[in-house]
Amino acid sequence: MEPITLEATKRCPEINFDFAANTFLIKGESYPEDVDSFYGEIIEALETHLESQQGATIRLDLELIYFNSSTAKVLMELFEMMDAAAERGNDVLVAWHYEADDDNMEELGGEFAEELAHARFELKVLET
Amino acid sequence: MLAQEQYAFREVLTRKGILFCYSGYLTEDILTGIGEAIQKKLEMEQASRQTSKSLFAVFVEQVQNIIRYSAERETQNNGDDTVNELSFGVLSVGHHGGRYFVSCCNLVRTDDTARLKTSLEHIQSLDRGALISLYKQTLKNGRPEGSKGAGVGFIDIARHATQGFAFDFMKIDDTHTYFCLEAYV
Repeated sequence: MEPITLEATKRCPEINFDFAANTFLIKGESYPEDVDSFYGEIIEALETHLESQQGATIRLDLELIYFNSSTAKVLMELFEMMDAAAERGNDVLVAWHYEADDDNMEELGGEFAEELAHARFELKVLET
Repeated sequence: MLAQEQYAFREVLTRKGILFCYSGYLTEDILTGIGEAIQKKLEMEQASRQTSKSLFAVFVEQVQNIIRYSAERETQNNGDDTVNELSFGVLSVGHHGGRYFVSCCNLVRTDDTARLKTSLEHIQSLDRGALISLYKQTLKNGRPEGSKGAGVGFIDIARHATQGFAFDFMKIDDTHTYFCLEAYV
């Protein structure tokens, strides 16, 4: 599958999904007007891709400075998808990056991580 | 006379500690514009980054609530399958009594007030741990009926409103009720 690369806009994050390398990045601020129209297709593409993977090493990096509650719902879906891929025998890592002083984002990372039973998880402080 | 009248209006806002006030149709671009100004102002006041982020988060959820749910809206059908919509609301952001506030008011359907009140009272009664677990549970189970967003907006406001929030309703008529939500950081 061709990579999906989207530049960050005012309310939407940068997206860098490299299907061949199995590395996926969401970076920046996310509070789009319509979450489904921004994330719908790319999440679907990712899900289709993940379902075809066997014994692969897969990495998702989330470097979010801010996201709204509708985006949080998408993130929850992403975590579930990554965990399902790990359960099918792939080596999956989800890395949650947050700014050093952002207790809220650190707390949320930990909370989302609880949804992972099979995938590995890393909390990382963003270098600023 | 004109300046006097306008200055008196400004004085009312100043007494309430209001830094920004907007009354009218709200769009996502207005949200972004005011949001940037708020962040800049807080930076100049040397508010902590955490305060600034929390206030911004509360602000975004509140304004997106108005944009999605205000019962006062103009709708225009474009003839194709698209519809133009504008939602009306009143927004103020300020600093008073040692804390920041974001206040948003808009019309809601009178029929919806009982549901809103129950939901907000429930959220207010929760401690931080319970709030987080309700947040996650709502993210997983999807949105409640009649809700266009993720249905987690209020929970998210409560999570970021470190000094709590207040809300009130005023019935206008059988169809419409004025709804105000003020969150403190």
